[in-house]
Amino acid sequence: MPLTALRTVSKPQNGVGAFILQCKRLDFHYCDWAGSSRGMNSFLKGTLPAFAKANPQIEITVSPRPTKHPVIRGHYINGREKAICVRKMDPNQILQKAELLRDASGEKLRREVRRPVKSLNESVRGIWSPFHAPIEEKRWKI
Amino acid sequence: MLSRTVRRALQDANLPPTYLLPFRARLSTVGHTIDPEPVPEPLLNSAHISRQTPTRPYTPPVSRQSSTQPAETATQPTAALPAPTSTSPSTPTTPLSDSIKDLLPLLRSQTPHYITAHLHGRPYLLTQGDTLRLPFLMPGVQPGDILRLNRASVVGSRDYTLKAGAPAASVASLPKEELGHADIRAKQSYVDERLFVCRAVVMGVEAEPMRIKEKTKQRQRHVRQVKSKHKFTVLRVQELRVRSLEEVEGLA
Repeated sequence: MPLTALRTVSKPQNGVGAFILQCKRLDFHYCDWAGSSRGMNSFLKGTLPAFAKANPQIEITVSPRPTKHPVIRGHYINGREKAICVRKMDPNQILQKAELLRDASGEKLRREVRRPVKSLNESVRGIWSPFHAPIEEKRWKI
Repeated sequence: MLSRTVRRALQDANLPPTYLLPFRARLSTVGHTIDPEPVPEPLLNSAHISRQTPTRPYTPPVSRQSSTQPAETATQPTAALPAPTSTSPSTPTTPLSDSIKDLLPLLRSQTPHYITAHLHGRPYLLTQGDTLRLPFLMPGVQPGDILRLNRASVVGSRDYTLKAGAPAASVASLPKEELGHADIRAKQSYVDERLFVCRAVVMGVEAEPMRIKEKTKQRQRHVRQVKSKHKFTVLRVQELRVRSLEEVEGLA
């Protein structure tokens, strides 16, 4: 019996089978001195523990960035990162930005109007061929 | 010594369930299985979520090929793992027609399937693993939520196609006792939702680049800039399969 190579049945895709959140890490940078990170500091004390507990998939780091504006930076499983400056924002607004980074995919923003569906699979029904269609379906005489 | 502390740490730690852990944590604690965890029983049996059509009264089967399904209200928004949050909205009462009993195993046996799923009245041709960027932001869902798409006009494979019956506009000519409480205004009828399973997982939210539209008024130099940035929910088709006859009969 000849040895046949194993064929790949399906490509691994996130969400088919297991789902992994696309945001893997969120960095919160703050400054103790600057007034623009006053909201960020209260966010770190008040809101962040609940946010981190609600999203255990995400690694969360907090680090100072002296004399700079506060920044949230998200790292994604596709290798990209996305940073949002949250200067002079309330804790509520900062929470919204953190949720935006959590839900984002890390891809560049694109405007797609025409094609909502993206597929890696080949066409299920195949490509129509005039040579193989039954007689009554033939629209072209060859 | 070290191994003992490690073992004790593993025993003492109250880890969250593995699907909540990060990817690397899942790799280290669970071991290398690419098989998905078995779907819990309540997920398999109930929880039909119809987001796209809020209420549609019962429409009787029109053709022999397919039959539409009584879709009672399913307004509960979210189905999250592990247990669905919506109760089963459909009470499958319609007996299957003979042609479906004959042909459904054939459709089921030919594996790659496609479906034309309808969300908010729009059709999307989907196969397993496809990414669907909805043209709207779906409220009340989080990444990782699983939606059951139960409105389909076509389910098919390479050689077989299961189509929905004629829309209810032509049902109006039927006699009244056969009509039941059909919705005359319905423009689209759907495949019996017991016959297939299509689940999509919410991947996240994408946005478009900000649009800036310049608005001008007459005899004014000021140009107003209107900014807008829409958000879109992204789904991925997790599972698409045709149910076997035993499964369908077991639901009833």
